[in-house]
This record gives sequence, C-alpha cells and structure tokens, in this order.
Amino acid sequence: MNTTLIGHLIGLRYKLMWAKTRSRNGKIALFFTGYILLILVGALLGAGGIGAGMAAVKMGKQGMVAKAVLTSIYGGAVMWTLLLGFGMNAVFSETELRRYPLVARERRLVRFFIGIVDPFWLLILLVDLGLVVGLYLMSDTSVGLGLIAVLLLLASNYAVARAVGMYIDRLAETKAGPSILLLLVMAIALLPQLAMPALKRNPEALAPILAGLRYTPPFAAADAITSSGAAAWQGILVIACWLVVFLAAAAWLEKHPYQQRVAQSKAIGWNSPYERAGALFGPAYGVLVGNWLRYYTRNQRFRAMYFLSLPLAAFLAYRIGSMRGQNEWFLGALGAMPVLAYMGTSRFTVNQFGYVGGGFRRFFLLPTDPGACLRAASYASLLLGAGMLPLGLIVFIAVAPDGADPRKIVMLAGSAVTGLFLFNGLGIWSTLFGARKGNYVSALGNDLSLAGNVILIGCMLGGLFLPMVLKKLAPALISPENWWAVLPPLAAAMTFYFVSLNLGAPMVHRRREPLMALLEGKS
Amino acid sequence: MNSPTDAIRITKLVKQYGNVTAVDNLSLRVPAGIMYGFLGPNGSGKSTTIGCLTGLLDPTAGEIEILGERFGSEASALKRRMGVMPETLGLFEPLYAHEFLAFVARMYGLDEATTQSRVSELLAALELTDTSKPLSAYSTGMRKRVAFAAAVIHSPEVLFLDEPFESIDPGGVALMKQWLRRFTEHGRTVFITSHVLDTVERLCQQVAVITKPGKLVWEGDITALAGDGVIEYAGQKFDALEPLFLQLTGEKSADLKWL
Repeated sequence: MNTTLIGHLIGLRYKLMWAKTRSRNGKIALFFTGYILLILVGALLGAGGIGAGMAAVKMGKQGMVAKAVLTSIYGGAVMWTLLLGFGMNAVFSETELRRYPLVARERRLVRFFIGIVDPFWLLILLVDLGLVVGLYLMSDTSVGLGLIAVLLLLASNYAVARAVGMYIDRLAETKAGPSILLLLVMAIALLPQLAMPALKRNPEALAPILAGLRYTPPFAAADAITSSGAAAWQGILVIACWLVVFLAAAAWLEKHPYQQRVAQSKAIGWNSPYERAGALFGPAYGVLVGNWLRYYTRNQRFRAMYFLSLPLAAFLAYRIGSMRGQNEWFLGALGAMPVLAYMGTSRFTVNQFGYVGGGFRRFFLLPTDPGACLRAASYASLLLGAGMLPLGLIVFIAVAPDGADPRKIVMLAGSAVTGLFLFNGLGIWSTLFGARKGNYVSALGNDLSLAGNVILIGCMLGGLFLPMVLKKLAPALISPENWWAVLPPLAAAMTFYFVSLNLGAPMVHRRREPLMALLEGKS
Repeated sequence: MNSPTDAIRITKLVKQYGNVTAVDNLSLRVPAGIMYGFLGPNGSGKSTTIGCLTGLLDPTAGEIEILGERFGSEASALKRRMGVMPETLGLFEPLYAHEFLAFVARMYGLDEATTQSRVSELLAALELTDTSKPLSAYSTGMRKRVAFAAAVIHSPEVLFLDEPFESIDPGGVALMKQWLRRFTEHGRTVFITSHVLDTVERLCQQVAVITKPGKLVWEGDITALAGDGVIEYAGQKFDALEPLFLQLTGEKSADLKWL
C-alpha cells in the first residue's frame, strides 16, 4: 500500500483549504477565527459529553443516557451531512485521484480518510469521547473499550452518511427521484410525531423495539461503553459489522453509478412555456426571464424543494399552530406562508449567479445591461415563488377551521407576499456580495456562502416564529379584525425589494470582475 | 482622427489587477475586412486584451474604438455588431444546444423566424444535431462548436475568437476556416488568438505578437508567408510564423537530462 502518497493526498486537502484562505485579504484571519471557534465549540461539546456521562452515572441510567446521546449524535451527524454537506465537500472525486499511482482500494481509502478528517467529524468524535470520559470518571467502565467503540462508531457514522448521500445523489438522477426523496423527507419528519403518541398508547411495544435497536451502531456502542466483558465485545462486533456493511454499500454505489437511459433525439420545440411566461415581463426582460425560468426548473433539487414546500409548509403550520396545546392553524399558517413563498427558489435567490458557472461571462457579452440579468433572475424567482401561494391558500381554506374567512385569506396572502419580497430583496444583496460557486447538479448539501445561509435560515426562522412573537407582544396585530395591519409591512417589503433591485442592478456591472473570478473558481 | 477603414483601434491600453500589470500600453490598429492574428505566449495578456475589447473587463487606462465608435463595457448598441467566442466559452450548461443558441439569437434582437432558421442551419452545419444531450454532456470540441455558433449567429461585423480551433476536429476546423474566410470577404473583421501558428499563418493577413505583460513586440503583414515569401525582422528572414514568433518571444531551451 502506498501509504506515503495517501498521506500526501490527505495533507493536500488541508493545503487546498489553506490556499483558499490566502487568495483573499482577511481570509487568513477568518480562517484562524474559524478554527479557534472550532476548538472552543469542540471543548464545549467534549465537556457536554463528559457532563452527560457523569450525570448519567449519578442518575444510575448510564445505559439509557449513553444510548440516547449516541443515537441523537449519530442521526444528527447523518442529517447535517446530508442537508448541509458538512464533511463531504472536500472529498476528491474518483476521477481526480485516478491521475495518481493508486489502486482502486487505495483511492477509496484516501477519500474515506480525507472525508473523515474534516473538522465536522472531529466535533462528533469529541462529543462521543466526552461521553466515554464522563462515564469512565464516574464509574468503572473501560476507557480502552470505550475508545475502540467510539472510533468504530465514528467510522460507521461517516460511512453511512457517505453511502446514504451517494444513494440520494443516485436517486436524484432518476425521474421519480425528487418525488421519492420528498416522500422520504416527509416520512422522516413525521415519524416522531406519529410514533410518540402510538408508543404512549401501547407502552408494551417499547420493549421489543428497544431490543431490536440493540443491534444498531449507537446502541451497540452504548453497550460497549457502559458494559464490560462479553457484552462490551458484542457491542463492538455489532458496530464493526455495520461498518463493513456501510463501507460495502458505499463501494457498491461507487462501482455501479446510475446509468441514465440514452435519451432519444427529439424534434426541436421552439415555443416553450418558459418563453411564454418570460414574455409577460416585456421585451426588455422577456428572453432573459424565460432563460432563468428554464434554468431554475431544469434543476432537480429545485423541483424537489419546490414540490416539497407545500406539504412542508402545511406540516409546519400544523405543528406551530398546535404548539403548547393550542389549536391555531391560522397562527401557524401566517408563519408558514412566507416560507412556502421562497422555499423552492431559496438556493437560487440568494446566489443567483452561483450556478451558471462560465455562463456568467455571457451576460457581459450580450447587448444588454448586465443589471437586466439580475433583474430577470429576480423576477423569475418571484414568479415561481408566487406560483405556490394560491395552492397554499387553497389548502388553508380546505383544511383549516374558519379557513374561508376572507380577512384571514388577505392576511395570509399579505404575509406570504411580504416574505417573498423581503427574501428576494435580501437575495439581491447576497447575490452581489455573498456569491459562491455552487454545484448546479448536487441533490443535497449546502453550497451557499455565510451571507446566503444567514439570509436563508434567518428568513425561514423569522418567518415561522414572528407571528408567535407578535401574539405575545402585540396580539392585536395578528387578529383578523385588524387584517389591514398586514399592509404596511407588505408595502415596506415591496419598497425594500424595488430599492434593492434599483441599487443592486447597476452593481452587477461594477462587481463583474470579482464575481467572474469567484464564479469561475479563480479566487 | 480615426481612419474609417479601422475596425478596431486600441490606444495605450493598460489593464492592471492591483499591482500586477496584465496589459501595458498596448496600441493596435486592425483594418476592416481582414483576419487579424493576436499572438503571444501563455499569460502574455491576450485574453485580458480580448476581455477589454469585448466588455468583460474594464481597462485601467487607454481607449478602445470599434467600428469607429468608442467602446465601453456598457456599449450595448455596439455589442450587437460584435460576436465573441470567449476563452471559457460562456455556455449555460443545463441548456440544450438549440435552446442556448435561440437564447443568444433573441438577445441579439433576431426575430422568431430568423432565430429558428439560423439555429437549425448552424446545428446542422456544425453537426450538433444530437438533441438528447444538454451542453454539460457535450465534449470539449462540441462545446466549442456551440460557442462558435453563438458568436456568429447574428452575423456580426467584428468577430472576436479566443483560441477557437483548439480541441475541434479537423473537419470542424476546416468548416470554421471556410466560414471565416467568407466572413472577411464580405468586409467583416476577425480578431483571433490562437497557439496554432500554422493555422494563423494560412488564415490571417496581419498579426500582432505580444509578450508578458501585454507588451506589443511586433505587428505586421504576413500575407507573404501564405505564398513562398519571407518576412524580415532584425536583419533575419523568416519563411514561417513559428520561428518568427520564437525569435520575438524568446526561444526557450532547457536540457532535462532525466527526460
């Protein structure tokens, strides 16, 4: 095995990270800050793990606490990896590694290690280790066995995240993929809501479930950490088996990429709905809007998110509305409607040029004001977002008690349009000043800049919880009697959007050189 | 006063990136109706110059005139008369070739009927008839053909081509050359960068050679080379472009014993 070269390649991943920070003024400082922050968070998480372990021993429930902590970390790590791309972005592709004198097994090993030495997985390891240390300090558990169990658990956690990620990528390539993904996400989101009441009604069902869960990696790791002798070794064996299964699954998925059926050449169609929809924006923007609409709607991830947004918004409306025993669909819907308006297009809205790659250059060669390209992109985003609103309102009218109250409908529409304009207005600024080269075809993962993430997550949370805050602070503002109260924020959001558009559009031209360098991967 | 026969006129063009000078005081005149080769080693500033000439980049100093009008990066009316094939091609990858070409054609103001007929003709001529693949699935050579088609679809008066022939098969190159010759016969101008000196020698009437950092070292007529003629430079006679280019840019030699 070429261990020297494997070591060099793993080191190269950090050299590349470092090189990125060198290319921009101030990034070095940011890098250090990031890592200092990381160490602090790591220390905090490690201490948290130790605390949990110590508390568990004090309560005399070390087994249960260890299982709960490890399961939540395990599931959380997979979720964050899939949703936000933590720990996966820096992995070299098989094609990139093929240029080096490595055999297939070594290439797989390199990618595995490069992925797992990511700071994200280090944090996961710290919490797991913290738990082991906490239990060791307060009881007579074996730190050696705990360490082996934790390392195996981490490896299996990474391997399962990788295998699931690859499977999702593969699924997204298929025609039905986005719909299946949607159903899976919905099922996972709803499972705890459905399972908990069912278990409360049938507590006897818990025992066989827990017995079955013993053979999952986190439960097995908990057994290995908190037990001794044969029970501990059995736990380690279970994790090792899962690790082999996950690695084999990942290797199989790599070896058998999805073979797209060769599409038949078809007659060229000229009169597409994109152009017809774009034409609504007049001759100055029609062609550009049509192009952006085609660009958005051809994206698999956009499609999945767009169609997911309605059931998800309905679910959020129901959950928020029924928090703390309330039954306020309207309150939940007020928060969920803005999310419905921008969820589908959100990734593009905050990074309009990030997914066009070399195509960004084209905007400056065309005989048009480059600002028109940003305007058209924003109009396309608005148009698609607005397209979901009637559906959201129809669902509310059909499902919610008093859903047909026209004052509520006005307030919901107002809330949605306010959110839509506010989010798109902010998106203009992050497109200009927080752009990032993204991967158009990736099905999962987070490729947005810090600014893009702050706007996206901030608007999602703000949109969802503002009505609840208002209910506490100024309940009159969200009462249907005062339906007109939604109009001033709506006017303010629209003003903000159009001011942003008018200020931002000329900046596309001024900022084209740094944006071009960034989007073409030269800075 | 600008000569009306100049298609492109560059005066004291400077482009700096921070403290780095990419183009240094470059002045050129490109007569209308010719094919003009713009040559230089890697990193000498060719693409930067084309970037300034086509609106991708703003010059730090200097003036650019195209077709007798002062050119700035926001000169939309003038851009309608120009065709550009940039180095990075500037394609929208998820689109199909016909969608991309139709988009470009419509942006240049072509009506629906003209767009459809030109797109169809270009796709057929450049053998881009596989409508089952988006541009992202095309080979490099096919992508170059699409970018070339996008540069010519609106019949521009001046055509800027940044390394157009690299990666294209001989049949495609022959077709492109044929079109470019006809293009100049109709009084239009082609400004071309290429490292394929044989092709430049056979195609271009005039050539400029720049070296790092974007400094003009030679400019002249090379039509003599297409026949049996020679070019004289610094007391030496050159019967081909390559030795002249190496003389101008400094012939490199490094003897690697292990190679």
